Amino acid sequence: MANVELKQVFKRYGDVEVVHGVDLEIMDSEFIVLVGPSGCGKSTVLRMVAGLEVISGGEIVIDGRVVNQVSPKDRNVAMVFQNYALYPHMSVRENMGFSLKMSKMSRDDIAAKVQEAAGILELEPYLDRKPSELSGGQRQRVAMGRAIVRKPDVFLFDEPLSNLDAQLRTQMRMELRKMHMRMNTTTIYVTHDQIEAMTLADRIVILKDGYIQQVGTPVEVYEKPANVFVARFIGNPPMNIFDGVVATVDGLRCVQLGETMFPLSEGKGDGLADGRPVIVGLRPDAIKMGDKLEKLPEKWHCTCEVVLSEILGGHSLLEVVVDGKHTMIAEVEGRILAHPGEIVPIGFEFDRMVLFDPETTNALL
Amino acid sequence: MREASRDRLKAFLTLLPSIILIGVFVYGFIGETIWTSLTDWGGSGALSLTPEKNFIGLANYVELFTGVLGGGFRQDLVNAVYYSVMLLVGAVGLGMFIAILLDQKPKGEDVLRTIFLYPMSLSFIVSGTIWRWLLAPQGGLNVLPKYAGMEPLDFQWLSSTAAILEFNWQNLFQILLYVAAFLLILTGLWLLKKDSGMAVKRWLVPGIAVGAGAWLFGDLLPEALFMEETHGFNLATMGIIMATVWQYSGYTMALYLAGFNGISQDLRDAAMLDGASEVGYYRHVAIPMLKPITISAVIILSHISLKMFDLIFAMTGPDNAETGHPALNMYLTTFRANNFAQGAAIAIVLFLVAAMFIVPYLVSQYRQRGRR
Ligand SMILES: Nc1ncnc2c1ncn2[C@@H]1O[C@H](COP(=O)(O)OP(=O)(O)OP(=O)(O)O)[C@@H](O)[C@H]1O
Ligand SMILES: [Mg+2]
Repeated sequence: MANVELKQVFKRYGDVEVVHGVDLEIMDSEFIVLVGPSGCGKSTVLRMVAGLEVISGGEIVIDGRVVNQVSPKDRNVAMVFQNYALYPHMSVRENMGFSLKMSKMSRDDIAAKVQEAAGILELEPYLDRKPSELSGGQRQRVAMGRAIVRKPDVFLFDEPLSNLDAQLRTQMRMELRKMHMRMNTTTIYVTHDQIEAMTLADRIVILKDGYIQQVGTPVEVYEKPANVFVARFIGNPPMNIFDGVVATVDGLRCVQLGETMFPLSEGKGDGLADGRPVIVGLRPDAIKMGDKLEKLPEKWHCTCEVVLSEILGGHSLLEVVVDGKHTMIAEVEGRILAHPGEIVPIGFEFDRMVLFDPETTNALL
Repeated sequence: MREASRDRLKAFLTLLPSIILIGVFVYGFIGETIWTSLTDWGGSGALSLTPEKNFIGLANYVELFTGVLGGGFRQDLVNAVYYSVMLLVGAVGLGMFIAILLDQKPKGEDVLRTIFLYPMSLSFIVSGTIWRWLLAPQGGLNVLPKYAGMEPLDFQWLSSTAAILEFNWQNLFQILLYVAAFLLILTGLWLLKKDSGMAVKRWLVPGIAVGAGAWLFGDLLPEALFMEETHGFNLATMGIIMATVWQYSGYTMALYLAGFNGISQDLRDAAMLDGASEVGYYRHVAIPMLKPITISAVIILSHISLKMFDLIFAMTGPDNAETGHPALNMYLTTFRANNFAQGAAIAIVLFLVAAMFIVPYLVSQYRQRGRR
């Protein structure tokens, strides 16, 4: 167990800089998830922590020790790869025991540790099989087993679940969570699946083009995105974004989107002058319909025209148009099936509205 | 149903020409050679239009292995065994070593790869001639130390008559039993880690029994020859081994390099994180993973070494007894001495030795395919 610190970490391939001064402090036993679009440098950061890539600038500190010059095997980190990277010629038992064998542990100790890990991961029946004789989920477990037998200081995961089908992924996600609760090992987990990010992370780190956009708990990045990129990237369906102007109408502070007015809740936008252009963001689940409307104040109600509606089991997704202009996605509880063109009442949790500066796209306030 | 049988007919008709050709020109002639080896075709009158051929059973083989005149052949066979073993160890070892070096992605890897592979493209006659010059008593290799200010070597690379590791052909059976015991014990020790019970029961105990038996009762075994006859590793064959290793290590290098390149970077990274050193990675991960390549290389090289003819012909000529080889002997016996039956017998012995390498390989291949 250890804390991990990245100080102004840079990565260059020749002239191309792909990671630009990443600063990140990870506490002992914390579960950190790195998310970002493809090619943003998630794997690169992870591999630098593992020691598989040379660090072009800055420092990486693991457990108080600068590891820039320390070789991967001496960092006491374990990594789980997307394609598992199991040794095809070794049995499951040998795969899991390989790192112990390399550390010159006695044969009996290795057998005991492998047995213990296999017990945790329910791999006992497969110990003598080759990886090619296992299903994808079982291989995934073996890869995990290989990482846990060593009791490393840090776990590194690079999209470990992305080769599994949806159901297995959910199941493995929960097991990962349980495993972390049980072992409490500091973990850095790379994914581009935001459900994994939201459910697993103590804190989420959002990367874009090699820059950190925001670091925060899942709720923080969901409710208070630092900029438009994070707002759009986190959450599915993504946040509804509109251009507006701050105004005061009849003594009430609001954001005007053409004729439509989005009232600002108490204290919000106090520092903004009337006429200042802003970007407005509203989560699809901040839009209410049906019986949930009653919980909202009357002044936050209006009507909209339904374009499309889908029922997804317990909740529904609707594409609606407000005032004939502003198209938005609503994610509402319950099964709401409206015909296209139907006019239905709708309400907004305006206290969850977020404002961004159109020039910098950073969050205001 | 009718569709299927028509497909079968088509497939059969398409294959028929090659089945006929291979049947006649490969298996037919193997049969013909076996038949010839069982006759006394040869000597004067062998080339007449209607040569005299009488069936004499295995007499030709008995003569080769135990006769007075078969001594040359026996030395050739011993040469071939040493030659094959050395070529395998040399070419596989050196090729693997160069491949590992090139796998470190040095600058100019492409150029180096081409350079190492280049000898393969030479004909054996060409490389044999070059190596004969290099190994000439006053030339090439022997004068190299002069450039370092030392005395030149005076080793007779290709005509030395010295031999090491000599043994008496009379004790052949005993020696074969020792070899068998050694192999059994080696396999047993190797398997000891995996499944000790089986290793002891199936390999170690029989191995020790065979070895002890050969040692205790060796005297009771029939002698393979009525007189003493020593054979060994002729030092004159070293030059030929060097030339062949030089020519073929590039080939094994290419095989291994392709294999190493096919191993995903993730696997290498995983091994690094698991604490394997660079050497450990090759020893525990890369080379074991390339076992199929090693097997193919061994099969291919052992065939080449068993059939080697032109390189030896070019390097030491047909009449150098020290560097003889069964294939060369077969050619001389058949076409210089017109001793067709004896030549055929040599050819069949070579064929059987080659089959000893290839048949187990084919069987294991079929088994694997069956499992899949
Ligand atoms: N060896 C390399 N040489 C040059 N550029 C590289 C190299 N490896 C990665 N890059 C670049 O670095 C950037 C980050 O790559 P990285 O693999 O970290 O992305 P990622 O966030 O893991 O993406 P993905 O989600 O697709 O796995 C990419 O733009 C990539 O083109
Ligand atoms: Mg990646």
